[in-house]
Amino acid sequence: MERDELGFDAPAPVGHPVRASMPEDAGTGPAIGERLPDFELPSTLGHPIHFHAHRGHSKAALVFYRSAVW
Amino acid sequence: MSYDDLETLDEFATAQGIPYPLLSDIDSKVIRQYGILNTQISEDDAFIHGIPYPGVFICDEQGIVTAKFFHDSYKKRDSPENLIDAAMGRIHIDQGAARVTGGEADINITATVRGGRGSLRQGIIRHLVLRFQLAPGLHIYGEQVPKGLTATRVTITGPADVRTLPARFPPSAPLRLPTLDMELQVWSGEVDIVLPFSAAGALATEAHAPTPPHCQLEFEVAYQACTELECLLPRRERFTLELPVDVVDVPNLGVHRGHGQREGQYDSTPAMRRLLWRKVRARPLGLVKLIWKTFTLKVGNALRRRESG
Repeated sequence: MERDELGFDAPAPVGHPVRASMPEDAGTGPAIGERLPDFELPSTLGHPIHFHAHRGHSKAALVFYRSAVW
Repeated sequence: MSYDDLETLDEFATAQGIPYPLLSDIDSKVIRQYGILNTQISEDDAFIHGIPYPGVFICDEQGIVTAKFFHDSYKKRDSPENLIDAAMGRIHIDQGAARVTGGEADINITATVRGGRGSLRQGIIRHLVLRFQLAPGLHIYGEQVPKGLTATRVTITGPADVRTLPARFPPSAPLRLPTLDMELQVWSGEVDIVLPFSAAGALATEAHAPTPPHCQLEFEVAYQACTELECLLPRRERFTLELPVDVVDVPNLGVHRGHGQREGQYDSTPAMRRLLWRKVRARPLGLVKLIWKTFTLKVGNALRRRESG
């Protein structure tokens, strides 16, 4: 495995787009203090989820990850 | 949330025992809506196009963002315990985690690692928590301090392959001393200082199981405690915590197998076929271009390594 400039090893060559770091000027979505945009998506609960309606009055962690497959 | 199809997510949730909902953003519609589509990857990069920059938003009861965690490398991910601490607005110290104590009379310092029961894994961010317990009347300082006073700082000095993020301090209180024409920022009572860190390089790698499977985390704490009338001598204390080094969790897929990591509970090859078919149907030449790009990068990198000796 090849090690990148941040010291991480991965099973893809350095320079491959799958290993690209997030640029410093990349937007990272809603800022602290903003309301999370609402959305509706299929879910593993067996029915679609409307985010804020499903959340109700609870705090939440919304986790974006790359893939469950690879 | 990911761009995986629902069948894949159902299999994954069942095999991995995940109790919370996984959301299928198959066309990356919400990923784009949130503005976090990974634009380093082009549409010609076949099945990897459409993924987000990985990260987490924490929101309060009104849906307002109170914390967010995004990093330069996709390998850096925040421990679930640290997400919970951010959501709850306090730091929970694991009673079972390794800890070390220090300080002096009237000042207790407890140092421990929050997240993963203190284990290190490649890229996973843990929190070194320094809990000061100061006797009434004593305070310690935040930056900036005048010459002659020592601000509170924590620094990890080893091992070399540990990477740190900026330390996090609790809200401080202003203190104006009659003898000094400046406002100082101080903490008193119980003060938790957090230094996020992660492991990289040879310390924790995806290439093989860790050797050895533990390390000595060395860190230094500098501080000075004062009352309103007088100061104790500044102190610089060194600590060591032995922490286990663990492997990372990888999908049970050909490219990840055989590197001594913890492979997933189910074979994701059928899911990979579904993903490839979905992406190749939309852009038939993309997979060919990606395979060619991967091959030329591998050959180019190998030649460069040979030339540099």
